[in-house]
Amino acid sequence: MSMPSSFALQQALRKSFQHLETNQKTWHSVLAECNPLVGSVGNLAQQLRALSNVNISNTPLKAFPDLQERLHFKLVQALDIVLEKLNEKLVLLQSVRDSNSNHVTAAFQLYERNADTLDLYACTQRSPVAPSIADMLEWLQNAELYYKQQFLKRKTLLHSLRPDDLSLLESTPKRWDSLETLSGEEYITDTLFRVSFFVESHKGE
Amino acid sequence: MEDQSQSSDSRKCSAVTGSGRKLKDNAADWHNLILRWEKLNDEGSGVAEKIVNQRLKLSPGEGATPPPSAAPPSCSQLEQECTKLLGVVSKMAAIVTRMERLASSQRGVLELEGFQWGAAGRGAPLFHGWPTRLFVELSQGLLESYQKELALKQRVVQELAHTGPLDVCMVYLSCWLYQPYIPADSRLTLEALLLETGHRAL
Amino acid sequence: MSLRVLTQDSADRGSQRCRMGLGLMSTHGLNLGSPLLVSIARGTCLCTAWPRSDLTEGFIQIDLKCVSPNLIVQPSLKLSLGPSQLTPLTCSKLRHIKVTVVVQSVDFRKNTPLHIINELVKDMMKGVYVWKKHVINVEDWDAEIKYVVVEEVSPDCADAGLVTAKTSVDLVGTQTQRHFQRQLRDQPVDPLGGLDEVCASLREMLELPLLYPGTLSSLGVSCPRGVLLAGPPGVGKTQLVRRVVGEVGASLVVVRGPEVVGSRPGESEEALRAVFARARAEADEGPCVLFLDEVDSLCPRRTGSSAPENRVVAQLLTLMDGMNQSDRFVIVGATNQPDSLDPALRRPGRFDREVIIGAPTLQQRKAILGVLCERMPVAPSVDMAELAQRTVGYVGADLGALCREAAMCAIRQDAQRSGGQEIDMSHFQQAVKTVLPSCLRSSLGRTDLSPVSWEQIGGLQDVKLKLIQSIEWPVKHPDAFMRLGLSRPRGVLLYGPPGCAKTTLVRAAAAASHCSFLSVSGADLYSPYVGDSERALAQLFQQARACTPCILFLDEIDTLIGSRCGSQSPNSVQTRLLSVLLNELDGVGFKTLERRGTERVLQAEGKLDYQEVCNKDVMIIAATNRPDSLDSALLRPGRLDQIIYVPPPDREARLAILRVCTGTMPIDDDVYLEELAAKTELYSGADLEKLCKEAALLTLQDEGMGACSIKHTNFLKSLDTMSPSLTAQQIHTYQTPLS
Repeated sequence: MSMPSSFALQQALRKSFQHLETNQKTWHSVLAECNPLVGSVGNLAQQLRALSNVNISNTPLKAFPDLQERLHFKLVQALDIVLEKLNEKLVLLQSVRDSNSNHVTAAFQLYERNADTLDLYACTQRSPVAPSIADMLEWLQNAELYYKQQFLKRKTLLHSLRPDDLSLLESTPKRWDSLETLSGEEYITDTLFRVSFFVESHKGE
Repeated sequence: MEDQSQSSDSRKCSAVTGSGRKLKDNAADWHNLILRWEKLNDEGSGVAEKIVNQRLKLSPGEGATPPPSAAPPSCSQLEQECTKLLGVVSKMAAIVTRMERLASSQRGVLELEGFQWGAAGRGAPLFHGWPTRLFVELSQGLLESYQKELALKQRVVQELAHTGPLDVCMVYLSCWLYQPYIPADSRLTLEALLLETGHRAL
Repeated sequence: MSLRVLTQDSADRGSQRCRMGLGLMSTHGLNLGSPLLVSIARGTCLCTAWPRSDLTEGFIQIDLKCVSPNLIVQPSLKLSLGPSQLTPLTCSKLRHIKVTVVVQSVDFRKNTPLHIINELVKDMMKGVYVWKKHVINVEDWDAEIKYVVVEEVSPDCADAGLVTAKTSVDLVGTQTQRHFQRQLRDQPVDPLGGLDEVCASLREMLELPLLYPGTLSSLGVSCPRGVLLAGPPGVGKTQLVRRVVGEVGASLVVVRGPEVVGSRPGESEEALRAVFARARAEADEGPCVLFLDEVDSLCPRRTGSSAPENRVVAQLLTLMDGMNQSDRFVIVGATNQPDSLDPALRRPGRFDREVIIGAPTLQQRKAILGVLCERMPVAPSVDMAELAQRTVGYVGADLGALCREAAMCAIRQDAQRSGGQEIDMSHFQQAVKTVLPSCLRSSLGRTDLSPVSWEQIGGLQDVKLKLIQSIEWPVKHPDAFMRLGLSRPRGVLLYGPPGCAKTTLVRAAAAASHCSFLSVSGADLYSPYVGDSERALAQLFQQARACTPCILFLDEIDTLIGSRCGSQSPNSVQTRLLSVLLNELDGVGFKTLERRGTERVLQAEGKLDYQEVCNKDVMIIAATNRPDSLDSALLRPGRLDQIIYVPPPDREARLAILRVCTGTMPIDDDVYLEELAAKTELYSGADLEKLCKEAALLTLQDEGMGACSIKHTNFLKSLDTMSPSLTAQQIHTYQTPLS
């Protein structure tokens, strides 16, 4: 096993995991910012639903004949604004995904370039202080796939929303929450935990 | 009328005088009033939400108003909130009254102009390019929307605490929150007014 | 060394990894994440190599993310693989791919702009190794997009490559999952024999409006929208529709009548509307056929009161009328009782055209057999034409069963003695005995016919000859009849004293001519209900026509049908039956539904053609021993025009009969049959048979159970105890010519 290439690869892996950690934090904070927005989507949908259920002329508000139309317009406008804000958040999530993806790809490409000089058996060697290179590459790939899927699911959800599809809008907060898979997040945390010693120990070198 | 307008601008020293001065001050007043309205609306929104939530708690099932006598202690709380909301609405009413005054003073400026310059109007515009008539029209439009909105709110505040179906409650709440009678471009109108009168730099 | 295939770990789902041992990886020269092609069953799967986390050898786990289309339908993994089934690949980065996207719902397809789908697909495909024409399974993304079909890759020097962020993804089209999966499944279409003409006409009907709506509208013609397929059960109506739909490339929405009918009021109508909505949705994706199987159960003839069926019929009518030109789907209904359909359905604008598929004719049977036997190891000695002739009245489904049965026979024989795996004629002959034609099933005239050969009937040479001439020849050699301008007789009347083998003669004739054989007597037809007997008789003729060539045998016709000039009142059952019979004999009762094959102009194409064209009629054979009581209208030419007297046996005939009867008996040498024949004047055939039996019984009586031969004396003794059943006067009346 050629030492220089192995060392370079380990450095790249270390960097990737460090990035993964910061990315996980950013991802969480962006998602936290999304929550109230998604909540208000559901809220607005409820109000739109109520409005469509009520016939204004049968209520004490019958003195305002154009109320229904005006209120509907206002609500849809508010919905537009919220969705616009959510889309901005989505762009943030995308950048997290992309930066994560880039690092993983870079690490993997480094491996591929040096694959011929790296011994396959050595790559699968685990030690008490560090997981094997194969394991780490695999974890990075899994993490990348996880973020890609997470992002895509959220993007699809937002793109599927239309102001005239009330039931979809109403269910948005629930669906948004259900996209968050505990196991996926745990996997990332676990991975970071497993490599924490590896990342820390060689920092000085 | 002329006297009134001249006396009011004595506080501030500015390059603009006369009708121009009057219009400029009015614009600033519009801005302040609308800001205050917004603040009141936000305040009222919180209260209205509380009222609706309490109403929902009081009668989980939809339907008739719970008789006030049989209501649990939180009913007094509800009453308290309603009073608060009434207070907000009355403050709003005061704002609208002031808006009416502003609009009528602007009409006065236009009438004066008509008296001074005849039907053709002033040769050069007071500020950048708007004819005086436009100020009047704009402020009239703003006034009307706020008047209507106030009427709606007065109606809502009367009904909010004791109405039947949930959906109607919801509609009251969204009426309060989203102010259907204040058009989306009212904000733009105000900004244009401020720009024209030189409150905002171009 | 073989590798055991294990199911993949859930964490690897969608990762495209193929987990294997390190040793295997290094022998194949694979690095971490190197692409490799795995051949499984009938397809291939593109994976990336990864070591198993426990590093053990001998196992393999495959993620089926990128597979050939047939593995999408049946992802059956073999339990073991050889190392040679793994092929390492070198994959370059792709510049460009063209894909078709398979999405879950129609709504998504309609509402999502293409560029969004394109973005999503691009995100999904990034970092995936693809193989040309493979299908990428992205179900684990839980998105609306389920599969991505890789249509083309570029640079196209290689079949495989890696999709990167720089690869441009071109969307060729979108499909719904249902459509896609059906397409995959529909690829093998069962061939259909003998229905080429019907198939072509149906095909044309479907293709015109579905594929060329523009042409039709430019001609100012509205597209035909409905086809009604009518025909007896088992002729292949459903299969025909599936086949044609497959050929045209349309999608198929199948509704079986009973499925739609619900118990709740309004449920059926709702279901029907849902079905139409489904067809409409399918039609958005391409041509679509809405197939209403068993439509008669859905839309029976409406009756006066407000029965629930009436509402279903009305709903269907409304829906069919509501289809407008923009609905690009065609309705095909299938029924075996078109007459029980509501007539409002059968007018232009609803079911515009009716295609009748009758029971297969000779040629059609031959074609069907040809198709069925194509994939069976049939011995070259099997003559399909001969088999087609033997299977009169069999519909497609029967022939299928026949072939299956023949194959089973072959297997049973093989199990006993190891021989060639071939199905020969004897197997088919055995199968013909067990598989009965469904045309004749439940027919009241169906008789279990044990074949009788001419030799089993003693004497009566003239009669036999006449019967052969009038029954067997026209069926077997129609070309000769045509050549000589002979028209075949329509019906034969056998008359003569009772017990003189009239029935047996007919059986022999039927057996010799390989016709289907229906036999009725008066008792079969009688029913206490008014009109029932007539309907039964008409139905009998209808069935007989469905299985031509067919012999319809009316035994004891005098009991069945009386004479109008007799004492009976004009409205008796017998007279009504007579009029039905006369109608049927003249061919009046023929209904459109009974049409079979296509009308063909006779050209000398071959013997089979002649047989097919000429044998469309039912041969009627009637037997009676009271010819005088028959209505004269029955006997005029064109009806029962061949009248054959079956005389009581004369001396020589009696001798022949006795020979036949004693053929199976051990008789002493001293038995002198000639003497017996001379002494049995006025004995009928039946009498003679009884005589022989009597003699055998007497032998047993006299000599105990150990007797081994019958002596002449016993014959004489039995002759003494018997008296002839015929009288001279009786015979005389028969011999006077019929008036």
